[in-house]
Amino acid sequence: MIGLPHYLTVSAALFTLGLLGVLTRRNAVNVLMGIELILNSANLNLVAFSRYGTGNLQGQLFAVFVVVIAAAEVAVALAIVLTLYRLRRTPNLDEADFLRG
Amino acid sequence: MQEVLRSLHRFWPEVVLTVGLLVVVLVDTIRVRGRDVATWLLTMATLAAAFVLSARLGAQSTGLFEGMLALDPMGIFFKLLLIGSSLLVVGAFRFDGSRELRGLGQGEFYALMLAVTFSNLLLAAANDLAMLYLALEMVSITSYVIVAYLKGDRLSNEASLKYILFGAVSTGAMLYGLSLLYGMTGSTSLPVIRQVLAAGLTDANRLTVYVVALLVFAGFGFKTASVPFHFWCPDVYQGAPTPVTAFLSVAPKAAGFAIMLRFFFSGMAVEGTGAWDLAGTIDWPHVLMLVSVLTMTVGNVAALTQTNMKRLLAYSSIAHAGYIMMGVVALSENGARGMMVYLLAYVFMNLGAFLVVTLVHNQDGTFDLRDYPGLSRRAPLLTVAMAIFLLSLMGIPPLVGFMGKLYVFAAIIEKGSSYWWFAVVGAVNAAIAAFYYARILKTMIIDSGNEEKPAFRLPLADSAWIVLLVLGNVVPLFLWSHIETLTRASLSLYAGR
Amino acid sequence: MSVEAAVFYVFAVITVGAAAVVVLARSLIYSAFALLFAFFGVAGLYVLLGADFLAATQLLIYVGGILVLLLFGVMLTHKLYDLDLKSEVTQFLPASIICGGLFILLAWPIEISFSLPRLGNVRILGALWQTSWATGPGRPAGPTTEEIGRLFMSTYLLPFEAASVLLLVALMGAAMIVRRRKDA
Repeated sequence: MIGLPHYLTVSAALFTLGLLGVLTRRNAVNVLMGIELILNSANLNLVAFSRYGTGNLQGQLFAVFVVVIAAAEVAVALAIVLTLYRLRRTPNLDEADFLRG
Repeated sequence: MQEVLRSLHRFWPEVVLTVGLLVVVLVDTIRVRGRDVATWLLTMATLAAAFVLSARLGAQSTGLFEGMLALDPMGIFFKLLLIGSSLLVVGAFRFDGSRELRGLGQGEFYALMLAVTFSNLLLAAANDLAMLYLALEMVSITSYVIVAYLKGDRLSNEASLKYILFGAVSTGAMLYGLSLLYGMTGSTSLPVIRQVLAAGLTDANRLTVYVVALLVFAGFGFKTASVPFHFWCPDVYQGAPTPVTAFLSVAPKAAGFAIMLRFFFSGMAVEGTGAWDLAGTIDWPHVLMLVSVLTMTVGNVAALTQTNMKRLLAYSSIAHAGYIMMGVVALSENGARGMMVYLLAYVFMNLGAFLVVTLVHNQDGTFDLRDYPGLSRRAPLLTVAMAIFLLSLMGIPPLVGFMGKLYVFAAIIEKGSSYWWFAVVGAVNAAIAAFYYARILKTMIIDSGNEEKPAFRLPLADSAWIVLLVLGNVVPLFLWSHIETLTRASLSLYAGR
Repeated sequence: MSVEAAVFYVFAVITVGAAAVVVLARSLIYSAFALLFAFFGVAGLYVLLGADFLAATQLLIYVGGILVLLLFGVMLTHKLYDLDLKSEVTQFLPASIICGGLFILLAWPIEISFSLPRLGNVRILGALWQTSWATGPGRPAGPTTEEIGRLFMSTYLLPFEAASVLLLVALMGAAMIVRRRKDA
């Protein structure tokens, strides 16, 4: 019997995996992938609640906006990563340590 | 349709900003001689019009666009504050003569500034989770772009990358928390959430609310640069162009506090009981107190050893966020008023300090405090102005910074003796801060050096803006009663859908 | 096991498995393609949840837009002849402990209760399984597109328009950042 908590578990897995990616990866594009996983997990939550919990469509509408925002964010992030690469020939975050802590 | 028309009538400031943004973008595409002057004038005119329209909104309290936004006196106060900050930044930090921004596109920059202002207004008024997240991300994304404006500069690029990655993770975590909140309450509308939460929580739900609170605070903490989400702040402030740093230290931070206040009030408070009793979910005052203390202390202590002026002011603004949060901790009318007065004061103090730093950089090409000796001789007006800004930041009467601290400390003290240790911590922090502010003054005034440097050429326009900001620091004390009435009138938050 | 459950488990395994590959794989290209599968998995779960419009949107924007952008990002940030495309991992152990702990805190599915001498009854169960989520009247299964469209034009009109401003600004901003020659 598949219920709400099953979907929530899948999204929790996505969230923690995304967080793991963000915390451990050196490559900026990889960190972006982790961020996308986090956003997807939240979206999955929203849609699951929309279906099983409340039954209104607010969750789905919210999820559509999240998708739009994610697209805009990735565009700007990649523009910045590209510039980083152009200036330093590396997409690795650790080597971008010109600014001291 | 009726709802849309009704809301539009009260939405003119934002509409004007959007139209202005589009016009500036269009004008910027025409390669004519006077293009830069035109875009500057257009931007200033748009912001001024938005300011006037916001002021004319009067004292209303209603929901807009079917509960997406809330229009209320506090919202109007924040609108004026946010538009005012943008006006000051666009006006005072001119492209002409700027060493950092030389050769960069001016029209696009101003279009982006209009976009950030629009997003800030939306954020300060958001009354629904979807709108909240959208507005928060709009502010963030436009900020990422203006921080990355110095695209040829390695430092700036690294700063903007750190900013966007840190920001995206924080807001992503916040989004996860918001989704759980939606699940628990069945709605994305803040007033409805509050009703459901106030009705009572089972023990199991309590744990989830803790998780939600932590995650949501990740987002708010990031926007206001509170500990422990402040790590991006010094690097980003140092790497971004100084006008952007000045703007970031003031406007998005204020919008972040506005939405924090609105979220806790509209989303978590118990209806009808004096508006400031939060649903007994978490011991909010103590959590916020801890955050505030950490923020103040980390900011002040770290600033002690800085020699780069932008980093120093970055840590200083982190500390000030801690003071502002004292107003939030108080969770009372006076606390909210304290927050408002402090933010008002903060705009004038901080922008002033950053403007001086910019002008010194324009002339001497350095942000390093060790290059500041002798400035009192070479640029007396700047030194006097900086002295006033720094004294204001320290909280010395009769400057506006003192007013801010007074309100906030008073709000805390009147909460009772259990809060007094908190006020003491705040006072100690202010004393620590006085150290590094005084050090700057000492370097500028007393230290000798740099005799061989040429005389300081300060364009008239820049002097005018400096004087204006100085007045902003000095005059408010004489307008004390007006500020009292204004903040009292701005206290109500719209509580309905 | 019903068909619905079987399909759910298939998509769940695809999604979580792919996400694990994204985070753990050595090569950046493997991560990128695993992300593709993760997005597909999520779209499949959306369909199971009755969100048909959202599933289509997910595929169009996430796979068709964002993933393509990420692949461009991967390709453009490596020298063309360097096909290694390795991506390194730092501080794996502490991070995985934190994330693993967080996952258990949230989603541990099997209830374990026992009583300790002094604490009394102790129940270990993930927060997501314990909480009583809000319940509503529920929606009949069916296409959502019409209602979403109607909501966009009524309740969600403002976010809709604001999002268009966001996209304009992001477009302008990204183009401006990447542009090589400065525009006088």
